[in-house]
Amino acid sequence: MEAKYDFERKYRKQILQCSRCGYCQAVCPIFGITHRPSFNARGKMLLLKEVMDGKIDLNEELIDTLFQCTTCAACKENCPSGVNVPEIIKQARKDMVNIGSCHPAFTGMNEVLQKNTNIYAEDEPEDFGRERNKKADYVYFVGCVGLYREDEATEATLDLLDRLDVDYTLVDEACCSGVLEDVGHSINTDLADKNIETILATGAHTVITGCPYCYRTFKNKDAYAPLREKGIQLVHMAQFLKDLDISVTTDLKVTYHDPCDLGRHCGIYEEPRQTIRKIAPNFVEMAHHHADSLCCGSGGGVRGAFPKNSLKMARHRLDEALDVQADVLLTECNSCVHNLANAKLRKDKIRIMNTTQFINELMEEAE
Amino acid sequence: MNDDIKKALKEIVGEDNFTDRLIDMVSYSYDASEHSSRPDCAVWAENVEQVSEILKTADKHRIPVIPRGAGTGLSGMVVPVKGGIVLDLNRMNRILKISIEDRLAVVQPGVVYADLDRALAPYGFFFPPDPGSGSVCTLGGNVATNAGGVKGAKYGTTRDYVLGLQVVRADGRIMRTGASTIKCVSGYDLTRLIVGSEGTLGVVTEITLKINPKPTAASTAVATFGNLEDAGRAVTRIMSSGIIPAVMEIMDLPTIQAINQNTDLGLPEVEAMLLVETDGYTQVETDYQLSKVVEVFKENHSLDIKQAASRDEAAVLWKARKSAYAVLARIQTHFVLEDVTVPMGRITDLLRGIGDISKKYDLRIATFGHAGDGNLHPQILYDGYNPDETARMKQAVADLFKLSVELNGTLTGEHGIGIAKASFMSLEHDDVEMETMRAVKRAFDPNNILNPGKMALEAN
Amino acid sequence: MDIGGYNMPEDLYYEPNHWWVKQDGDLLVMGMDDFAQKLAGEIVYVQLPDDGKKITAGKKLAKVESGKWLGKVIAPVNGVIDSVNEELEENPGLINEDCYGKGWMYKIKPDDAGDLSKLITGAEALTKWINEEIEKYADTE
Repeated sequence: MEAKYDFERKYRKQILQCSRCGYCQAVCPIFGITHRPSFNARGKMLLLKEVMDGKIDLNEELIDTLFQCTTCAACKENCPSGVNVPEIIKQARKDMVNIGSCHPAFTGMNEVLQKNTNIYAEDEPEDFGRERNKKADYVYFVGCVGLYREDEATEATLDLLDRLDVDYTLVDEACCSGVLEDVGHSINTDLADKNIETILATGAHTVITGCPYCYRTFKNKDAYAPLREKGIQLVHMAQFLKDLDISVTTDLKVTYHDPCDLGRHCGIYEEPRQTIRKIAPNFVEMAHHHADSLCCGSGGGVRGAFPKNSLKMARHRLDEALDVQADVLLTECNSCVHNLANAKLRKDKIRIMNTTQFINELMEEAE
Repeated sequence: MNDDIKKALKEIVGEDNFTDRLIDMVSYSYDASEHSSRPDCAVWAENVEQVSEILKTADKHRIPVIPRGAGTGLSGMVVPVKGGIVLDLNRMNRILKISIEDRLAVVQPGVVYADLDRALAPYGFFFPPDPGSGSVCTLGGNVATNAGGVKGAKYGTTRDYVLGLQVVRADGRIMRTGASTIKCVSGYDLTRLIVGSEGTLGVVTEITLKINPKPTAASTAVATFGNLEDAGRAVTRIMSSGIIPAVMEIMDLPTIQAINQNTDLGLPEVEAMLLVETDGYTQVETDYQLSKVVEVFKENHSLDIKQAASRDEAAVLWKARKSAYAVLARIQTHFVLEDVTVPMGRITDLLRGIGDISKKYDLRIATFGHAGDGNLHPQILYDGYNPDETARMKQAVADLFKLSVELNGTLTGEHGIGIAKASFMSLEHDDVEMETMRAVKRAFDPNNILNPGKMALEAN
Repeated sequence: MDIGGYNMPEDLYYEPNHWWVKQDGDLLVMGMDDFAQKLAGEIVYVQLPDDGKKITAGKKLAKVESGKWLGKVIAPVNGVIDSVNEELEENPGLINEDCYGKGWMYKIKPDDAGDLSKLITGAEALTKWINEEIEKYADTE
């Protein structure tokens, strides 16, 4: 029988490989807050299997589950059968978009990036009182969340770069548009070309990204190959920080949340911890960490399309930080900061920040 | 199912806790077995009162109710073969009480095994059965299936720890069985009857578990054997040496070969490998136990013995055994994982017999499992889209059950009957026993609404 | 009163970014008006500043987010935050359900209660303003 959809052509064997053991339930953030098997990776694979078997149709009824996945990859990491669930889901979303079944929020994201240069359709980018597009050794590429949602975090990061005398510049950024691949669409090459051009114009040898997703996109996607071919070094802030000489310390109890895009998707687990352990000897891990880390709930377009569940996932994760009585929850992703901070209740005394923000604050206090 | 009944269910659990949407109906059609069948709807119950009302409604209208935990079972126990209502108990997931002085924990059925383990850890206690799916399976499911695990030989199975239950009967009435005491001989032991009854006698809504202090020391070794007979004899001799290891796992040659083909562990390709772990409270004590085991291995011509000098080294020794299921799950698109169990003295015969079945039906069968309690897991690999291979798989399974019963063993040591093994019940149980089981079922559930179609309770 | 399908009570004072204010003894209560609430869609998050936070008329005092939009809450007057509606932490949707009642957001101790007069109020001014706003936002849904 001829395969009807690309997900089947590409991933038939993997979908059948799912042995339905259900081990993904232990780590799936959406199952964790809903206890609903159809939202779990196993439930999603079963739906696709039934589509392949011709028992059900790929249609709008499946939007609620196939589009409600943060693509955090915790299931993949814990799958005895080696099923690459996030890639399968991303492909199935593309197939659904092709037949005209897509969550309106995801259609919206694609449309926004055809008209705007940022995912939030905001008019004016913050300039943070700094010159853009100048000649410098480093480009600091903020990312949409840092520019338009977590401007305080970005301001602090820039202050830190200044304190550390880093020769950097901001640029007129466009959304890296990597997220479109997750939500059933494709990278917007116009935006990619624009980014490549503005970055190259600075003469910088290295791009430091504030956002792990931008990092992932620059590093892996074909649309950004010219950057890599020109020999531009690409690092996330966490990697850049690790090699710096930072002498401030704190007695506060600090924990670290692995962003999915940095940890499971890029394998960067130790660099941020090395930095944090240096400044905070009283470091503690949450119940789930490294490859088993729980997702904050914001990825894969879920924050936009299913905000209530997205925030519940953040709350679920935040509870783990509260359980270990951390004073400060550090992470390396503005999107995680944003969602976790949104989930924080007034009575929770924990502080939620990027590592850069925290270091900047400690340095400020020490001065 | 008519809309009035759906409406009644919504009134009981609330709109948000009812579903008949396609996405959910697909999920609830399956467990971890190869079986599937659609329910009519599903509800998430939040308390015992709701469970009671759901059952009253279902009983009145003669609608099947399938209680469900994590759905990790391997024999189709929660597959709704006759449609009806899936009663999902995952949202009843509170640990109600941990009492170290009384040595017990009281939990709701939706508590995940690993969550109880995490909650007991600060007290230095644990709930020992340790099923392979411990990170996700629910305690309600453990009770319904009498779940076991790698430590069965020393620590027993779920049944050995259930002191009391709250159970909702098929007609919605609520009863308590057992007691909050370690000993209790007051009346029929309904608790033990319910444990392992696969949701056919009642819905468990609260569980009182005996808990154990957790051993803090362990010693681990792996031994290889050039032939199965030596390995089998080593297993039985260990038992007569006076030592009961906490773990004694066996892997056969097809399992070792599959691991070597798919990992870089580079295991020696021998007829059998035994992994042994002794546990206790001091290293001296566990090392002593292990030294006795190692003596037995040597007496029985082990080729090579590796002992772990540290926890890290132990983890390395465990790696092969822990990877077995995952490695085998990736080779073919389909497999069945059986759990035949024989008296320890017959393990060699069982493994030889499995080898014969593998040849006879030209199927790849890899066997590993709990040699310490005679419970082995032959994993039969096949292509479910190939009708001929599927037919051979079915014949192989039938031969396997016959073999196990002939060796004085049982169809299932820990996965349960469900629908997968229902047609083989009479192989193991005589007519009088079957009739007695059916009489018990009728006494508890005269209208046959609780998980119908399972365990051959309806034949005759 | 109803203006173009929006419920805009005449006895309230309105900051031009659609934050309503009313007097409550020495304090002012503020929240989001019906026009903004409808435009934003389902509110999923409201930032609740600490009591005692100093606020400046016309400047951002907090953030509020719906699924599709992030808004800045603009302080209508100078003053300090006296208290906040903690119910909104668990249930920000109260703003959609009842924006002038259960969905109130903050209580403010104003520096000068007389500042209220700088805000939009009264049937005539309101009608003019909302009609202009309807026109302005006609393109965005």
